[in-house]
Amino acid sequence: MSSEPIERRVSYLGDRLRGTRCSICGKEYFEIRDYCGNCGRKSFGKMTSTDLFYEKGELDVCTLVSEPTNKFTKLGSYVYGIVSFHNGKIRVPGRLTDRMIKHDEKIDPSTLEGRTVVPRFRRRYSVEKCDIIPTISLAFTFADEYYPHQDYKTVEPKKEYDVPGIVGYGFYSSRFRIKEENIERAIPFIDEDSITAAVEAGKLALIHSGIDSANVGKVYVGSESNPYAVKPIASKVAQVLKLGEESEDDVQGVDAIDTEFACKAATSVFKDAASLVNYPRSNIKNAMVIGTDNSQAAPRDCPGGELDLFVGYGAAAYVFGKNDLIAEIEGWYSCTSDTPDFWRRDGEPHPMHGGRYTGDPAYFKHVRKATVKLMQRLGLQVEDVDYFVAHQPNAQFPVRIAKELGFKEEQYMPSLQVVRFGNTYSGASPVGLAAVLDVAKPDSRVLVVSYGSGAGSDAYSLVTTSQILDKRPNQQLTVHYQADNPFLNYVDYTTYRRLKLGM
Amino acid sequence: MRTRPAIIGAGRTRFGEHYEKEPEKLIEEAWLKASKEANVERKDLEACYLSDYFLPITNKLGLEEGFLSELTELHVPMEVTRSFSSALSIACNAIIAGKQDVVLVGGIEKMTDRWDKIRDDLMLLEDPWSFYAGCTPEANHELMLRAYIKKYGLRGQDIEKLNEALAQVSVKNHLHAMKNEYAQYRRNVTLRNVLDARKEAGKPLGLLDFAPVSDGAATLILASEKVAEKLTDKPVSVLGFSSATDFLTFPAREDLTHFIVTQMAIKNALKMAEVSLRDLQLVELYDQSTVMEMVSLEDMGFCEPGTAWRSIHKSCEHYKGYYEVDGKKLFVNMNGGLKADGNPLGATGGAEIFEVFKQLRQEAGERQINSNEDLNLGCVLELEGFGTKGYVYVFGSEKS
Repeated sequence: MSSEPIERRVSYLGDRLRGTRCSICGKEYFEIRDYCGNCGRKSFGKMTSTDLFYEKGELDVCTLVSEPTNKFTKLGSYVYGIVSFHNGKIRVPGRLTDRMIKHDEKIDPSTLEGRTVVPRFRRRYSVEKCDIIPTISLAFTFADEYYPHQDYKTVEPKKEYDVPGIVGYGFYSSRFRIKEENIERAIPFIDEDSITAAVEAGKLALIHSGIDSANVGKVYVGSESNPYAVKPIASKVAQVLKLGEESEDDVQGVDAIDTEFACKAATSVFKDAASLVNYPRSNIKNAMVIGTDNSQAAPRDCPGGELDLFVGYGAAAYVFGKNDLIAEIEGWYSCTSDTPDFWRRDGEPHPMHGGRYTGDPAYFKHVRKATVKLMQRLGLQVEDVDYFVAHQPNAQFPVRIAKELGFKEEQYMPSLQVVRFGNTYSGASPVGLAAVLDVAKPDSRVLVVSYGSGAGSDAYSLVTTSQILDKRPNQQLTVHYQADNPFLNYVDYTTYRRLKLGM
Repeated sequence: MRTRPAIIGAGRTRFGEHYEKEPEKLIEEAWLKASKEANVERKDLEACYLSDYFLPITNKLGLEEGFLSELTELHVPMEVTRSFSSALSIACNAIIAGKQDVVLVGGIEKMTDRWDKIRDDLMLLEDPWSFYAGCTPEANHELMLRAYIKKYGLRGQDIEKLNEALAQVSVKNHLHAMKNEYAQYRRNVTLRNVLDARKEAGKPLGLLDFAPVSDGAATLILASEKVAEKLTDKPVSVLGFSSATDFLTFPAREDLTHFIVTQMAIKNALKMAEVSLRDLQLVELYDQSTVMEMVSLEDMGFCEPGTAWRSIHKSCEHYKGYYEVDGKKLFVNMNGGLKADGNPLGATGGAEIFEVFKQLRQEAGERQINSNEDLNLGCVLELEGFGTKGYVYVFGSEKS
């Protein structure tokens, strides 16, 4: 239905919930206005841009929609209503998301009205497979459930470091899970995908780091489940999160690029981001790297279906810079070989898995090599390392390699998140790292080693700073918080497959 | 004194599903009836004002004037608007300005041809941002009801009574439609039916609270005072008319419980007609939902804000054919309203006006209201979108 220009305009306003405030009388508008109705012509040039992206609203009135319009039928039943911001100064329409309503379930609006809601960036509605994917942030969840409201406060940098490192990070996974035997895995809600997760993780990383989003000069998004074959996730992230210098013409002054190398698409460019912010003439204070995946797997009874037991959903974002670091980068080592252990041909919905290759000649060979080489290079012994984070496609591989290399349980266990979220592909080792940074004390050494099929590994050695403690209160949505959340919603296998497929 | 445009003939089709007919056939049927009644030939028409809400979308008909020209074999000025009331207002202005003396005003809609996508189209046109957020054509009515309940602090038994009153609106409109040969639903529904439909949906409003999707056409022949006198001894004059406009985005409006467009349009239409609200006994309201009929009773000024449901409830306990408001009889939606008569958007206003025209000429047959002696005024409210536009007309059957 929609044309590209319409899609562009609706997304531009709707993804960020852009609005306008009259600086004379304070009247506020959703959407962009050049003048205020109260103040008339004298308000020209005195309207300031605002947005509701980091705000919280209140659900004024709502009703159950059980017979949606065609474009929304895949959502089933949902609650729709009117959300007010700034004590009623702005009111917008909104759909409550992250909620599955059973066929004959009764909804009493009065139990929902008056509650605080948080705007969430989601897919807007279903379209044909060949169309542009419409998105919007007029989707809301309750602040007292899985996803709390968090203020985004920027702070002036206090301390500059000699080497680049991590300024802040964010991890996002949905509230939906499937639990089978010993493994719990995250599943996107039906309006989520790798794009929405990337934006969420990036948002949380900005909140945690406290940097001004305008300082981000480059954003890398690594994924192997981008719903587009051609069109970057990074451009969406850049626009929604207002990364880089803003200008009048709606174009952000930021470089944005997607990377792909199976599960190491994100970790591979940690070094690029770090180098970029370290190069004095780059003029880039911060760079952001996001690993995001709605990990794909064929159904269980199909070729490649063994992956269906492990795939998860989530994204992790890291902000690199030289100021106010929570961890310095000590060094890195990467290695690559042409090993076809896992692949997905263009146009195929699900990846294939070479059973013969996947363990020894692939994962173990590369992870071992990258780790050993980096430790040699930095002159590190096993006991010099406080945390060992290895890529985690399942629960066995990272444990086996950690033991083989001589690491003890207390060194590798804190990073093992695959049993809570599933294999988040490009997000897998970054999630492990986030779980460690959530708990690490200052001056801890963290060794993080990714693995990407195809194949290669990146090993990084990080040393935490004292500022890691200062920033910890900025983030409520930690890995642990999302793993052991009382609002988790468990679904059965059929629902899981449906949600994974999305709108 | 300026001339008062007068309706000298009106015609309409049955509303409902007309899958065997092209839109042209429907408008032709209505037009021929009106012409016959007014005793005018096609050559007498000096202009045509047509309305359709979205024929270009439902039937891929772009230049509607062209098909009307082909049908009438006329090459006179023609304009297309979105609602019947809007077309009529242009026609009235043209006659008042002295530009034309006899014109055709017509409305047409063919919604069932696009049955599978109609709710998406309606919602997107009505309020795009709400559509993007997941709104449906029904949801806004339900939100208005929620907001109403909260604003007036209704609880417990009052809410039950309000819900019952809304169901009674539907029952009453179906009862009226029994006597309307053109109505889409000529069948009784009971209070239980309406309540059961809500229960089945698990929602405050059910299938029987909403107007249907319809096909249909309505036309009238409008003439200047001078010409009307020659052609008929029973002209129905347009005494006053006005319209108002509100935001497209419903949540952005100041008041979620009322339609400001109705409040403004009735005020200005009465002023133009030099008639007081208390003189009105017959009114056709725009009941896209039962909530809309209730709220409109308040917006028009017949009931105090927050009280219409009480009047409805009281009147419908032993329904005598009219609402009792302030000790006065108020005849509302005698044709069955949008609920039972049908709601082919571009033609809906035409059916409302058709009803007032017939009633004021004492030609409404079985559904002719009793108080014939003093019935000389009638009023019509038509809305576009979810209260984005509002039109009010005051008609009179006697020269004043």
